[in-house]
Amino acid sequence: MKRIATPLCLFIGALIALTPQVARAQQLIIDYVGFDYEVPAPPPGQFGQLGAGYVGLGVVPNLFAPLVSDTASNQYTYVVSGMTVVNRQVFGSYVVIDYSPGMLSVYEDAKSGGTPAVWAPNPPNAQAPGSFTDGSLYLQGTLTGFQFVLNTANGSGSYEASCVWNGGSNLNDIPSGDRTGWTFAGATGNALNIPAGYAHQIDGQNFIVLATHSRRTSWGGLKSTYR
Amino acid sequence: MKLRETILAAALLALAVVPTVQAAGPAIDWDPAYGWQAGGTPTNLPLGGEFKMVGVISGFDVPLQELNALDPTKEYTFYVHNLISGGTVASGTPTMTFYETYFAGGTIEVYEDLSPDASFDPNPPNAGVPSDFIDGTMILSGNFSRFVVQSNNFTVYKVGNIEGDITWTGGTMLDRFRRIGGEICPGLYAGGSTWNTSVVPAGYLFRHDGKIDLQCPTPTTGSTWGRIKSLYR
Repeated sequence: MKRIATPLCLFIGALIALTPQVARAQQLIIDYVGFDYEVPAPPPGQFGQLGAGYVGLGVVPNLFAPLVSDTASNQYTYVVSGMTVVNRQVFGSYVVIDYSPGMLSVYEDAKSGGTPAVWAPNPPNAQAPGSFTDGSLYLQGTLTGFQFVLNTANGSGSYEASCVWNGGSNLNDIPSGDRTGWTFAGATGNALNIPAGYAHQIDGQNFIVLATHSRRTSWGGLKSTYR
Repeated sequence: MKLRETILAAALLALAVVPTVQAAGPAIDWDPAYGWQAGGTPTNLPLGGEFKMVGVISGFDVPLQELNALDPTKEYTFYVHNLISGGTVASGTPTMTFYETYFAGGTIEVYEDLSPDASFDPNPPNAGVPSDFIDGTMILSGNFSRFVVQSNNFTVYKVGNIEGDITWTGGTMLDRFRRIGGEICPGLYAGGSTWNTSVVPAGYLFRHDGKIDLQCPTPTTGSTWGRIKSLYR
């Protein structure tokens, strides 16, 4: 029995060693801050009613590898759009709001000669979202599972969504196998700098999930690493 | 009558003017910060325990805009400590449970270090955490008057938020937060948090993507109807 077991273990071990293993690492690619609003604008305290459209507008002060950017010369802005409330659940002071799929778009606009982004009050208007969508479309992704959790008792909460990058001039900075990921953000209604007509101040990040492939090797190669 | 209506309309119009906000970053922004509490979990921060956070600042804006967080010769870090848990309160249903923990006390210190060395070494406290985050010059310090950690058991990516109010008390750059009249603007410490272990080092409970904005009250100016009318003559 032992004679069979030993070769069997070796054979299984060899299969494991020779099969390409894929580990998944999370890579932060963008960090963003901004404000959000709904269309049509809800009555006070009625954020996230069924059918309401969600828009997030902001700046992207930090972009990370593998994205190639030039924050010295360009202003990067983001727009979350195209989604509406499809489900709203209330649990005491907490509200959980689910949205239909939407888009996360990042724009690149030259600081010299471009138009600075402005959170003009009571959007949508001539400047918002217009001053966030000018320039060129740098990166765009589809958001699904966008879910907001808000504590109406203290005015703060968060959101999250899955993201698949599929457009923009810098899409190819991200290897084709690594374009899925997720985003999350904190949201607060307690900031005094929230412009009129906006609901929350937003601070978020977006990660991609990198596939890290292991190298193929042979038993000889494996043994040599321990000699 | 017509003059009165005109003046009234003008006054209402003046009151309705809302300032436009140019897109700028927060006063302090970080990527990332991590928090921990001995004996705690993301859904239970036991009563009486001390919650702490360390972070690396990634950007500054008004009124700290001349500080360059990306200068490789410097490092800007912060340390939050002395937050004593009031116990985690759970609410909701078994499948959709919300966890809310308020803390008493708490201080924040922001440092500028000319010998960058901070790293989020696992399993704090250890030789590098928090010591590598509290060396250098303390440029700001303050006390929390409110601090809350919120998590849940149902979000796909394990996402919540951490938020607090800061009363600034010290540091070499404290006067930057002083408004006309001498008042120091309070700070709002806010941002999203995640306990997704793929982005949280061992021994920490939360990754926090946050920032601090100044909560400067908008000053009002006393006036009279006569003065308002005179503006439109």
